[in-house]
Amino acid sequence: MTSAAGSELSFLDPAILARIGSLELIARTIVEGFLVGLHRSPFQGFSVEFSEYRQYLPGDDPATIDWKLFARSDRYCVKKFEEETNLNCHLLLDVSASMGYGSHSVAKLQYGAFLTASLAYLMHRQRDGVGLTLFDDRVVESVPTGTRAAHLRALLATLSHAVAGERSDVAMPLNQLAAGMTRRGLVVLVSDLLDDPTRIIDGLKHLRFRGSEVLVFHTLDPFELTFPFEHAARFEDLETAADVLVVPTEVREHYLEQIQALVERYRRELRLAGIDYHLANTSAPLDTALAAYLATRGRRW
Amino acid sequence: MSGLSFLFPAFLIGGLAVAVPIVLHLLWRERLPRVPFSDIRFLQAARVEQTRRRRLREWLLLALRVAALLLLAFAFARPYFSNAAAPDRPATVVLVDTSFSLSAPGQRDRVRAQALEAIATAPADHLVGVVAFDDTARVIADLDAGRAAARAAVEAVSPGVHGTRYRVGLAAASALIGAREGRIVVVTDLQASGWDQGAGAISPQVHVEIRAVASPAGNLAVVGIETEAAATTVVLFQTGASGGDTRVSLTVDEELVSEIQATPEPGRTMVRFPVVLPVAGVARVSVVDTVGYPADNHRYRLLDPPAPAPVLVVTSDPRARDAVFYLERALAPGEQVSRFSVDIIGAAAIAVRPEQLDRARAVVLVGALGLDRRGRDQLSSYVRGGGGLLLVAGPTLDPGVVTDLFNDTDGPRLGLGTTRAHDDPVTLTPTDLRHPIMRGLGDLVGNLGRARFTRTLAINDSGEAAEPDDTGEVIVRFDDGSPALVEHSVGAGRVLVFASDLGTVWNDFPRRPTFVPFLHETVGYLTGLAAQPREFLIGDAPPGVPDAPGIVTLAGDVRRVAVNVDPRESDSTRLAPERFQASVDRLAQAAVRAERDEVAEREAGQRLWRYALMLMALVLVAEGVLASRTA
Repeated sequence: MTSAAGSELSFLDPAILARIGSLELIARTIVEGFLVGLHRSPFQGFSVEFSEYRQYLPGDDPATIDWKLFARSDRYCVKKFEEETNLNCHLLLDVSASMGYGSHSVAKLQYGAFLTASLAYLMHRQRDGVGLTLFDDRVVESVPTGTRAAHLRALLATLSHAVAGERSDVAMPLNQLAAGMTRRGLVVLVSDLLDDPTRIIDGLKHLRFRGSEVLVFHTLDPFELTFPFEHAARFEDLETAADVLVVPTEVREHYLEQIQALVERYRRELRLAGIDYHLANTSAPLDTALAAYLATRGRRW
Repeated sequence: MSGLSFLFPAFLIGGLAVAVPIVLHLLWRERLPRVPFSDIRFLQAARVEQTRRRRLREWLLLALRVAALLLLAFAFARPYFSNAAAPDRPATVVLVDTSFSLSAPGQRDRVRAQALEAIATAPADHLVGVVAFDDTARVIADLDAGRAAARAAVEAVSPGVHGTRYRVGLAAASALIGAREGRIVVVTDLQASGWDQGAGAISPQVHVEIRAVASPAGNLAVVGIETEAAATTVVLFQTGASGGDTRVSLTVDEELVSEIQATPEPGRTMVRFPVVLPVAGVARVSVVDTVGYPADNHRYRLLDPPAPAPVLVVTSDPRARDAVFYLERALAPGEQVSRFSVDIIGAAAIAVRPEQLDRARAVVLVGALGLDRRGRDQLSSYVRGGGGLLLVAGPTLDPGVVTDLFNDTDGPRLGLGTTRAHDDPVTLTPTDLRHPIMRGLGDLVGNLGRARFTRTLAINDSGEAAEPDDTGEVIVRFDDGSPALVEHSVGAGRVLVFASDLGTVWNDFPRRPTFVPFLHETVGYLTGLAAQPREFLIGDAPPGVPDAPGIVTLAGDVRRVAVNVDPRESDSTRLAPERFQASVDRLAQAAVRAERDEVAEREAGQRLWRYALMLMALVLVAEGVLASRTA
């Protein structure tokens, strides 16, 4: 699948994307590039209304070839359909202060914004309704679900203005969303999940209980995953401003054990709850995250 | 009690440098970089455990750095363990002069009175001790004996016949005070000559007070007796006011020989007795002095000639006197009084007449023909037992017989080689002018080079001119560099090897004026006569000699010696108290220097600084390891 794209997807590198000023352009670049590399339509099966013919391209599903047309014209053509969907997608982006951390050119918040914009763009392309909520320990901004192009631009504009806020309370928007949800849909959470895991998992389960599909992108910086620091320093918490004197060589082992345990807990407990979990390393290309979304989308609908 | 002291304590100020690592430590803590991080909860959880370790390490690091600096300052301050006693009660020591310059009529009572007053006026909190001194010092009342004992000791004090040595007395009193604060009260006649001799020092913190005792109006002393061929000269010494005419008597073995009425002048006066004294006996010269010191009114002189030292001359043939003619005439010229008595014996007879060997103070081996194994063994034992042997090369001495005289055991290798003929005669050149033989020759040393030697014996195995083995000391060489007179130590005795003969066959040495003095000094050195004085001053006499002027027989010896009082003590010239005090001050200054030298020597002996530096190096290594794990 996407892995076949290899170097062709290098433009999906977050560091390169960060140089592009417009979030809409970034989202389009990511999605179009991702789709070209995908070599097959991700939207097959989602729509029922015929739109046009298109010449068959390698990678297209042979099942979509119009054999009658082939008989008439001796050309391989595939049918394209206008998508008709009533799937509502809601994107939740954590904008707490901890998301402002970044060890390289792309902070977690920026990476999350790229990912969220790409998902929004992709959802818009397949005519899914998409909404957005930015939160830290409260809902900072919210864009309701919509399918229009102007709606997408408004959503991307909201995303482009996102800045790291205060302390995080991931469970709070989840519960709010679950409480206000009237239709089943897809909820995508982009967060570093650096909060009380029990409350977060309970919130996600709440959403799942309400009938929504849930996809979690656990966004972490490579330094958070490997803790490669060498020299003693005062480590300052971005959310609480508390600091602690740390000798990395002394705490590295313990820290890595703890962070791995956290990741494993989310992965294990969310899988048991039927929630898709994806660990998003901010130094990795975005295609893996998009592929994860499509996998979830294709599996459910 | 011993304590730690420092040679250069000012360097300890360098220990203040410990503030540097402390400040750096604190600054380092404050200047750690701040790293924003998303969530520190896991770090905090880990830190709970590591913080304790780190805090411990940090403090340990600080302690190591501080310790390194302290050790450096410690090492530079040059520490040492001193034996200083713990401070105790202050003390007063009454130093009582008991030399014979305080034996004039009435002086004894004045000394006691002054000493008792010094005890009575000593501060109440002071311990009081009494030290009596003349040319030696004796603690007659210790500090812990109490004042009553001190008074009793002073009551028993009486002047003796010894001279005055202030340094000895003051040093003893200072030693008695020790590390305490204290004072020394010197009861003395301030005799100027008391500072001439003796050694000692006093502690700088000891205060010295003087209680002067008046000297007699004058003193007349007999300070010398010189015997000549036709007369005897007596030296009188008058200090202070002259007592007018006095009677000077000369007795020999307690029989009056002559008496002269003399009028001594201040200073020295020579009195000549026109009498010839006998060659043996004890001469005594006396004067009448009722004012001054009784001890110096008599002087003794031993008239006995020194007993000739028996010397055994060993030749190859005792009947052929030509070989030893010059030797015998030089050692025993046949006069009435001779320094040596010479017995001549054949080499073959040594084994059968060992008593002659035992009686001899020295042996001169001129010929060895007939010296058998037994004889060699006896000769070797004689030398090892303390005897002296002069080996004389010559036509009748077979080097092969004597060269291994001591080789059978651990003795030296004499290394007698072959005979060398010199077409161009060689002469003697002294090598070791400090050797007693050369010193005894005095100015004649320069004349040794006039003798011409046409044949010599090489003193080594190969026959070439070379050094003797390591145990030999070359005293004289020939001018071609080869050894001429070599000394070896063998057991308690000594062996001299002369590399030419003492006749006229190989050289013309016996015809030279230096021959007899050279032989006397050489044989005298072997017999040890030079170390046998016949007159002693009281104070310089060997142990066992009674403390009284007169004639005594030395213990373990047959010799009689004359013992007289020190003539310097007869000079009653006094020092002004200020000058006396100045001398005391110099003594204290010398003590300071001596103490400084002693401290430096003690510190050099202990070298604690090396251990401090080694410890500092270890500390720095530990600091380096710990720092690398903490950074």
